[in-house]
Amino acid sequence: MAGLKDIQRKIKSVKGTQKTTRAMKLVSSAKLRRAEQVAKASKAYSIKITEMIEEIAANIAKSQDEIDHPYFKSVAQPKVVDIVMVTSDKGLCGGFNSQTIKQVNTLIAKFEGEGAKVRLRAIGKKAIAYYKFQQRDMLDQIDGLSSAPDYQEAAEFINKVVESYLNNETDRVVIVHNGYVNMITQEIKIDNILPLDPNEFTGTSVSTSELEMEPDDDSLLEELLKRFFEYTIYYALLDSLAAEHSARMQAMDAATTNAKEMVKNLTVKYNKARQEAITTELIEIISGVESMK
Amino acid sequence: MSTIKLEIVTPHGVIYDGNVSVVTLCGKDGEFGVLPGHASLVSLLDAGIITATTADKKEIVVAINGGYAKVSEEKVSTIVDGAVAIKDETGKLSSNLEKAKELLKSAQTSDTAIATAVSKVDTIK
Repeated sequence: MAGLKDIQRKIKSVKGTQKTTRAMKLVSSAKLRRAEQVAKASKAYSIKITEMIEEIAANIAKSQDEIDHPYFKSVAQPKVVDIVMVTSDKGLCGGFNSQTIKQVNTLIAKFEGEGAKVRLRAIGKKAIAYYKFQQRDMLDQIDGLSSAPDYQEAAEFINKVVESYLNNETDRVVIVHNGYVNMITQEIKIDNILPLDPNEFTGTSVSTSELEMEPDDDSLLEELLKRFFEYTIYYALLDSLAAEHSARMQAMDAATTNAKEMVKNLTVKYNKARQEAITTELIEIISGVESMK
Repeated sequence: MSTIKLEIVTPHGVIYDGNVSVVTLCGKDGEFGVLPGHASLVSLLDAGIITATTADKKEIVVAINGGYAKVSEEKVSTIVDGAVAIKDETGKLSSNLEKAKELLKSAQTSDTAIATAVSKVDTIK
């Protein structure tokens, strides 16, 4: 019976797939635990440094009528926008990367609708592959960084962006990544890192006294901002990695459940086919005996 | 007694978060004390020791290897690269003494600053 053999082969293959997806799920959940810890620990630092920059920005906005610091200004109509996007290097993680790409596409459409030129800087193989297929030019790309975040490399990457901003090659820089919320939820996060519009921070608690810098005014702020940019991108990478693992864990869990369901259905089908075969054989024997009489 | 909020944050987590009545920070240009209501200030911190006294006279001592401090009237936030608590509300953490010294010695700053800080660690009771 060819039908029986076929079903049997199929069951075996689905079971094999199920084994793989289950193993991947286990690997992801182990990796997630580690990534989650790292991301959680650095979250406090990321929040604090952002807060600090916001307070300084608010202070600057208050104390000076004319803000002439290149980092702190508001741009109503940006001409060139740089989008830095973080995706994973590996697939099989459900809609994790497509969500980010979708968001980036929305942003591109929005900025281009406003008459701005959009330049893409991609981190992670998936974004690179997608935009290569779409034949969209990439200003900068790096792979291998999102699966193993490294502070030095991340800093080098973002410093190129900041430099290009300071050279007036771009008016606005946005970071897009898919961030970790909890084991089952990921959330797209958009950070406007440059320029830091002081008007946006007026809501934060502003102290009444004028801000003093120690030691020297400009170099300190410069250094602090540099740290802020570096840490923002580094944190985006850590956050994205944790989210990637949680997305993969979920996707693999769903795949394992589906495989299980499929094996069940195939087994039912197999049993039915087998019974049918037996019945046919019996009828053949009986009718043979009948005709001999 | 009025207090000021002190936060010490590193990339590896929060080391201290609480209300204190006085803080001494190790600025790059020298140590300085901060009391509640201090004028706004942003300062570069050198490797050294941050000491603070809580409202109920408990001493907090944390060794850091450099970072930044943002002072406002009601809050002192410090973001540092590395920090080890030597003394907290519950008392001295002897197990952290060696770790604190190692942290200070690994800091990238002048040898005098490191030596001063290390000797300070030794004198903590």
